[in-house]
Amino acid sequence: MAAGVAAWLPFARAAAIGWMPVASAPMPPPPRDKRHTRDELIILNVSGSRFQTWRNTLERYPDTLLGSTERDFFYHEETNEYFFDRDPDIFRHILNFYRTGKLHYPRHECISAYDEELAFFGIIPEIIGDCCYEEYKDRRRENAERIQDDEDNENGNDVTQLDLTIRQSMWRAFENPHTSTMALVFYYVTGFFIAVSVMANVVETVPCGTGSRAKEMSCGERYALAFFCLDTACVMIFTVEYLLRLIAAPSRYKFVKSVMSIIDVVAIMPYYIGLVMTDNEDVSGAFVTLRVFRVFRIFKFSRHSAGLRILGYTLKSCASELGFLLFSLTMAIIIFATVMFYAEKGSNSSKFTSIPAAFWYTIVTMTTLGYGDMVPKTIVGKVFGSICSLSGVLVIALPVPVIVSNFSRIYHQSQRAEKRRAQKKTRLARIRAAKSGGANAYLQYKRNGLLADAEEEASKEAGKALVCKVNPTFETQHHHLLHCLEKTTNHEFVDEQTYETSCMEVSMVKPSTSRSSSVSSSPHGLTSCCSRRNKRKSFNVPNSNMTAGRRGSVQELSTIQIRERPLSNSRSSLNAKFEETVPLNSEQQPYITAAIISMPTPPVTTPEGGDSASSPDFLQSNIVRVSAL
Amino acid sequence: MSCRKRCKREFLKFAQYLFRLITGTLNADSVEDELELSAVRHRPEGLEQLEAQTRFSRKELQILYRGFKNECPSGVVNEDTFKDIYSQFFPQGDASTYAHFLFNAFDTDHDGSVSFEDFVTGLSILLRGTVQEKLNWAFNLYDINKDGYITKEEMLDIMKAIYNMMGKCTYPILKEETPRQHVEIFFQKMDKNKDGVVTIDEFIDCCQNDENIMRSMQLFENVI
Repeated sequence: MAAGVAAWLPFARAAAIGWMPVASAPMPPPPRDKRHTRDELIILNVSGSRFQTWRNTLERYPDTLLGSTERDFFYHEETNEYFFDRDPDIFRHILNFYRTGKLHYPRHECISAYDEELAFFGIIPEIIGDCCYEEYKDRRRENAERIQDDEDNENGNDVTQLDLTIRQSMWRAFENPHTSTMALVFYYVTGFFIAVSVMANVVETVPCGTGSRAKEMSCGERYALAFFCLDTACVMIFTVEYLLRLIAAPSRYKFVKSVMSIIDVVAIMPYYIGLVMTDNEDVSGAFVTLRVFRVFRIFKFSRHSAGLRILGYTLKSCASELGFLLFSLTMAIIIFATVMFYAEKGSNSSKFTSIPAAFWYTIVTMTTLGYGDMVPKTIVGKVFGSICSLSGVLVIALPVPVIVSNFSRIYHQSQRAEKRRAQKKTRLARIRAAKSGGANAYLQYKRNGLLADAEEEASKEAGKALVCKVNPTFETQHHHLLHCLEKTTNHEFVDEQTYETSCMEVSMVKPSTSRSSSVSSSPHGLTSCCSRRNKRKSFNVPNSNMTAGRRGSVQELSTIQIRERPLSNSRSSLNAKFEETVPLNSEQQPYITAAIISMPTPPVTTPEGGDSASSPDFLQSNIVRVSAL
Repeated sequence: MSCRKRCKREFLKFAQYLFRLITGTLNADSVEDELELSAVRHRPEGLEQLEAQTRFSRKELQILYRGFKNECPSGVVNEDTFKDIYSQFFPQGDASTYAHFLFNAFDTDHDGSVSFEDFVTGLSILLRGTVQEKLNWAFNLYDINKDGYITKEEMLDIMKAIYNMMGKCTYPILKEETPRQHVEIFFQKMDKNKDGVVTIDEFIDCCQNDENIMRSMQLFENVI
């Protein structure tokens, strides 16, 4: 029931008195009005804009946020109002919905922002009024298409090499030529051969000067062998391409049904049929006709040109307009042809011998061609002829803009998609740079405050004291969180350069042995791998945890670099080569890291390496660092 | 409108149409549109007057008017809107006939629309009136042609309208003669002198003697 009608319920109940005298049974007792509160004004403060309304207005829709007890969560006691931290401009429409019962969609608002607000306030979009519903649906569809577009692209780009079978990678190469060089080469080669084949077909028919007989020969007859070889080569390439596509297609049946494959087949069929039928003279006439189909090879270009595809798609989508155009033209042609025939019937030596003969005149006149091979001679004929040409302009001009606008819309849509794809890469790169700035903040914080000489707690305090002037509460808490993560995994975050340098250095001395399970108690100078500790349990860290630093370092996954020595100044690091002393306070590089597959958990207690520093700093030092970008 | 006036208007329209055909203005319907755009608007009498005329307090009148104006921004309800609104309360059946009778009962000045005064006057009687007034109002509702007598046919119409509001899916199944039987029962009770019509006095007398009816009249006191 429309909630606005709820205001009439008291009236309907009062009017029920009309049934009382005729009632056949006694009436039930009325419900007790539990809370007969007076209607009061409610203040809704939305980001500073104060809206006021009656409580009854809001409670008309009890299944929304404002109409139910859910709004109590937003009650602000000090100011005795309900505070919402949302967009006041969109809230205006939402409140209007309560007042009028109709939800409107403002055209200038972003569709996703609007949807979010609706979801927040618990209003389903389906109740948008008819006046705005169409616009809303259109915008929503566009948005969904855009999202779908982006997703498709992402999915297309994200699939890594390793995941595809030969067949799938072949299909991918065919569909997206820019994914690999081989595909690109293939793409251009086929394009070239299509062009060559079409040119050959054209040149074949050009007269080429007199041959052995004193008769003009076409080039095709003169250089028959050359053209035949060229044709053979092209057809072979096309056949190979078609067969490869057929093999690679994920759904062969769908592929065979598709337009492009039919064009492919039609393009190469004449050649094969010609091979079979060369001896038969009586069907050579048909054979000649078949050669006409060779021109279909030019349609193969549509794989190479987006514009052609758009044109084809437009024509398909405008089929009804085209049909209408054709139909109205046919009607007009028949009408005018009849009229002209009967008008010109009187004059002798008239070319208008029959109505079908007059069709030609009508078509030529309506499309304003006006060849002049048929002209009316009588006055009546001329009058109707002029009316015919005037109406022709109109009839043709009307449906054409529809087709044109359709084409323009689809074309611009595809342009926008292309532009979005191109911009996306730069946008993502910039976003990544900004994000890494955030990660760097943590590393900076660590260097400043964390790696202090004192106790870990104290160092943290110091660090915090140092940085809390600069960082707001959010940052300190965030850093604490990252620190907790480090402690949990016994790894540390480092920055990009450090990681990469470590990777490079590691690769230079890449050990053949590598696994952490190997136990060697002696400090090994150069092995970047291994847990040298015997009692440690190996700590298998799957690859996915070390996402950050995996760029290009697939081979480094097996190398492990462990710092077994404490960080203190008196550090005697295992890998002196790799050592970057991290001073107790400050500004130097943190540890080198490497992504690891497995590593031992460093002991919480003092290591066996017998190193002196049993300071709490040591806890950090045993951690195998992992780059964290 | 008289025939002559109508003919003149039609001829004028045709002449205008011919003129426009020749001169080719594009806004062909602009003239006619303007005539229909001026909507009916009604403003009620002042609050004090209504307070005096009805038995509602100032606050109650304010609340009533706000609800009324919200639903009908133009200030009046015409019969179609009234039927629409009333039908919303009875989704299973067809409430339009009964709404028609109700509309006539509320539209005391019979101008085809229920203004706020009509609305509030009717409500005042129904909710705050004496039993006598309420019974009077009910009699007025049943007396379709307002001649002071309720005939069997009028009662049958009313009864059918009420039963229509129930719709098809009832228990026990609604039979064709149920309204008629109900009318018979009603007339047996009310028609003292058995003359086939019920006058206002018979009606009020009979109702005042009936316990159930008296009790049910008090049911809707607290609706506002």
